[in-house]
Amino acid sequence: MRANDAISGFVLIVLAAAMLALTLSFPEFRGQNYGPALFPRILGVGLIVCGALLMRRGFAARRAGARWVELAPWTHDPWRVSSFLLVIAMLLLYVLAADTVGFIPIALIFLGGLFLWLGVRPLPAIVTAIAATIAIHWFFGSLLRVPLPRGWLTTIL
Amino acid sequence: MEPLLAAAALVFDPYVLWVIVASAVFGIFVGAMPGLTATMATALLVPITFFMPPVPALGAIVTATAMAIFAGDIPAAMLRIPGTPASAAYTEESYAMSKKGELDLNLGVNLVFSVLGGLIGVLILIVATPALAEVAISFSSFEYFWLCLLGLTCAVFIATDDPLKGIISLLFGLAINTIGIDPAAGYPRFTFGSVELLQGISFIPAMIGMFAISEVLRGVVALDQNAVPIQQKVGNIFRGVVGVMRRYWINFLRGSGIGVLIGALPGAGADIAAWISYAVSKRFSKEPEKFGTGHIEGIVDATSANNSALGGAWIPALVFGIPGDSITAIVIGVLYMKGMNPGPTVFLQNPQFIYAVFIIFILANILMLPIGWAAIKSAKLLLRVPRNVLLPVILMFCVVGAYAMTNSFYGIALMLVMGLIAWLMEEHGFPIAPAILGLVLGEMLEQNFMTSMIKADGSFVAFFQRPIAATLGVITIVLCAGMLWRNRPALVTR
Repeated sequence: MRANDAISGFVLIVLAAAMLALTLSFPEFRGQNYGPALFPRILGVGLIVCGALLMRRGFAARRAGARWVELAPWTHDPWRVSSFLLVIAMLLLYVLAADTVGFIPIALIFLGGLFLWLGVRPLPAIVTAIAATIAIHWFFGSLLRVPLPRGWLTTIL
Repeated sequence: MEPLLAAAALVFDPYVLWVIVASAVFGIFVGAMPGLTATMATALLVPITFFMPPVPALGAIVTATAMAIFAGDIPAAMLRIPGTPASAAYTEESYAMSKKGELDLNLGVNLVFSVLGGLIGVLILIVATPALAEVAISFSSFEYFWLCLLGLTCAVFIATDDPLKGIISLLFGLAINTIGIDPAAGYPRFTFGSVELLQGISFIPAMIGMFAISEVLRGVVALDQNAVPIQQKVGNIFRGVVGVMRRYWINFLRGSGIGVLIGALPGAGADIAAWISYAVSKRFSKEPEKFGTGHIEGIVDATSANNSALGGAWIPALVFGIPGDSITAIVIGVLYMKGMNPGPTVFLQNPQFIYAVFIIFILANILMLPIGWAAIKSAKLLLRVPRNVLLPVILMFCVVGAYAMTNSFYGIALMLVMGLIAWLMEEHGFPIAPAILGLVLGEMLEQNFMTSMIKADGSFVAFFQRPIAATLGVITIVLCAGMLWRNRPALVTR
């Protein structure tokens, strides 16, 4: 997916303007001419100038016949689009549910689900998911002592 | 001498050696996998090295990246797909050689000259850093301000082919860096009341997102477009290498030299070193017409260059805290975490760590010979690891790694957001490297800028009053203006 440069430039300008607006609430210090707002303001102005140049370039491309949004070939393949979204969904699921469910069950769902969706045959998918979960849990949880979420397994582990 | 002995004692410890061998194997694997880069290897290693003492932590990164840059040559020759972007410059040439039946010679040359190029890189690193550190010790905030700016200018103009998007990427990185407590007055900026944002964007999860998550996202939509390795048995890869060495030793030295130089320039790393040295090789060759038809000459230049660039990138990283490439950008984060703030003082306070890095660099390059040979011999097996198994495992690894860095879900969320941003940026032709550099150097730039402004009370003349500062300032301004002028058509249309 590739949006025209004019769109990217517009988004940049909006974000930079928001950043500049936020710096207005930064405090000034008495006897100090340069406060915390100075550096972000310089960056904000720079981004707006660049955004404007980018928009100009985008409009020139548009006049030359470019589209507003150019879709990559894979976006026409529902399986690939779903794979893309599934990766993001799995990450979100982990963030939202890992604390309650615990690392081991969620890692099994995470890995098993992705394996199966991406076309690994069921038996190897399940075996690999279990092996990888155990390996990662052992490596990070036991060896490096990362406090992986325990969730439902609190009483067992 | 004493710190050197202390360094040797630190390195030749069974645990450290074990870490080095393990990360060598890891680096070879990541490098040989198309789509997985040396920078990604570093980003994935950092959460693990977090739990190690400084020497094995740095050793793991040094070794893994050296191996990965070499290993990228293997799929280039066998599949016509570069394993890392650093091999892209001569992938066509390597594959053409394989088709001519010279796979053995190609892999042998790639291995031997990667080792030798890497050693030249270390050699220059060893000679240059202490000398530069002597100079750097007298630097004040003015010099550091200009040095940062000079580095960022290089990153935008040399490392990218679209300067406008490079500048935007850089400004974006700098802007993200302003989140959190500001370095001069201690006021929390853009935190929206979040406690986690107070200490700013957590660097390593952001890095894992930008280098690994974005790569996984690109990987899952390109699944099952795999190439089949060429059916050619690998024989004695070392036959004929000595002849190549005798014939093209100038190319080897030139390539290694260019590699160190490009590596030391902020923002440009092994991949650009390979492109430039390959082009230089063709330009000065006696038989340029043979380039592209499976000719070894350009490969000698480029494969030496991309490995020597690794050592070169450490020069500004160790002396000034300014990374030479995206790998050392991550390394600087690691150095700070280990309490070894990069800069000239580290040579006074912890010289044994610096020497240890040098020793490991040499060790890693020597180790590359046997491990690289083994990797070439088992390449067919290595290249058969299915991507649909690999990508979810990498993803899980990223999740746990990002979590380990912050011990909270904030790390994972940040990784996801930065991954999506990096993916979008690449889709739209914005280079990632300047943003990373902005993220790494932002605080240093702002702090030195603010200190200088306060010291000078707003007078810009003070920025040019010290001789070195004035020189650096003039170079920066001339370079910046010159590049803007040269690229003025590209800034407007494209």
